[in-house]
Amino acid sequence: MATSILDLRSDRASEGAAADNLRLVEGLRTGAGWAYEELIALFQQPVYALAMRLLDDPAESSDVVQEVFLKVFRNIGNFHGKSTLRTWIYRITVNEAHNARRWFFRHRRREVELDSDPEEARNWKEIIPDNGRTPYDVVLDSEQRAAIEAALGRISPIFREAVVLRDITDLSYEEIAAVLAVSLGTVKSRILRGREALREELAGSLKPRPALRLMPETAEKMS
Amino acid sequence: MSCENVQERISLLLDRKLPARERESMLAHIGACRACGTRFEMMQNQVAMVRGLDQPAIPPQLAARLSVLASHECERTLARASLLARLQCWAARVDLAFDNLMRPVALPFTGGVLSTLLIFTLLVPSLSFSHDIRGREFYTAPAGKMVTNPWDQVADADDDFPRIETPTTAPSDYYNVVDMKIDETGRVVDWSVVRGELTPDMKSIIMLGRFQPATEFGVPTQGTIRVVQSCASATVRG
Repeated sequence: MATSILDLRSDRASEGAAADNLRLVEGLRTGAGWAYEELIALFQQPVYALAMRLLDDPAESSDVVQEVFLKVFRNIGNFHGKSTLRTWIYRITVNEAHNARRWFFRHRRREVELDSDPEEARNWKEIIPDNGRTPYDVVLDSEQRAAIEAALGRISPIFREAVVLRDITDLSYEEIAAVLAVSLGTVKSRILRGREALREELAGSLKPRPALRLMPETAEKMS
Repeated sequence: MSCENVQERISLLLDRKLPARERESMLAHIGACRACGTRFEMMQNQVAMVRGLDQPAIPPQLAARLSVLASHECERTLARASLLARLQCWAARVDLAFDNLMRPVALPFTGGVLSTLLIFTLLVPSLSFSHDIRGREFYTAPAGKMVTNPWDQVADADDDFPRIETPTTAPSDYYNVVDMKIDETGRVVDWSVVRGELTPDMKSIIMLGRFQPATEFGVPTQGTIRVVQSCASATVRG
């Protein structure tokens, strides 16, 4: 059977990643300081991004991220290497986000934020405009982005998890199956349903508004 | 392939999860069917837009909290390590504490040891007892001078009294000759009759006499003397 160079490279890369994972896990088990720092540096950003996409709440996501790393540190002895370290951590993140969502609906549903204006909540880096693009592009992109994020927030959490893990976190179908602890067929189905649901939500939210028209009777009235 | 089948597999087609043959037939259908083509294009754009979403940056406060958390958990893991690791940890701590304790003392201690060695080396030659060997022979055979002699008063006057000679002298036929071995204390430890017989005077010398011992490099050592007494005097006395 012929094997392409790309396949060999990917095999070598996966072997290297597995060796790195093993080294990292051993370091965590023996209490090596460098391993803790490396784990935080590698996974804090992806875990936070995943939690944010699943919960759409910065404060809640921060709590989830801390819980995730606490569980990773304390349960690293239970990690037997059956899946990759990344898959294991994402699985914990999805479970924690699921727990946080349930807790949120039970307890904090009726709370009202004091700082409800998102523009005020932004920091200065987000406010400074990008001079490389036209204001129209910036506004269009930000609107589209906001629409997609809002549509993601509206679809069922079960479908959202699958879509986020596939399209944003860029996991393979097999990895998603391991993270969500479901079969491959269920993953395919959820991704399809999620994308369909997202399409329907976007079709509703991105409908063009009616253009401004001058009404003849209004003009007559004004005259 | 029907439109319904195609639309159910659009997601798999986008993710390249279809076999090549099925993929080709789907693409052929999408190229021919306007509704499916539009659906495919919309789905493609949507996936691209979702993938193009910015990653939310982690807040600095959260990053700091995670670093603190990692540090605490690292300490906790070390504290809960096995007994051996804990003992090793404690041994390392004690070793470090001892090192830190001894470091201020190390320089004065080393200086003290070195100066002690230097002083001792300089003083040792002066402490040893000097042996003044000027005017002494390196080896002195027992000269035959008796230290204690019950016949001191008559030794020089009486020719019949046993006299001492060096063992190299040839014995005369008229004399009784006995070689005596003198130890470092000056006493006779062995004797042998060379000629004649052992006279009573010679026996007295063997039992009671004390001689000045031979010396070697100034130190007393064993030596041999030859005692000679005439046969006539011995006969008369006997």
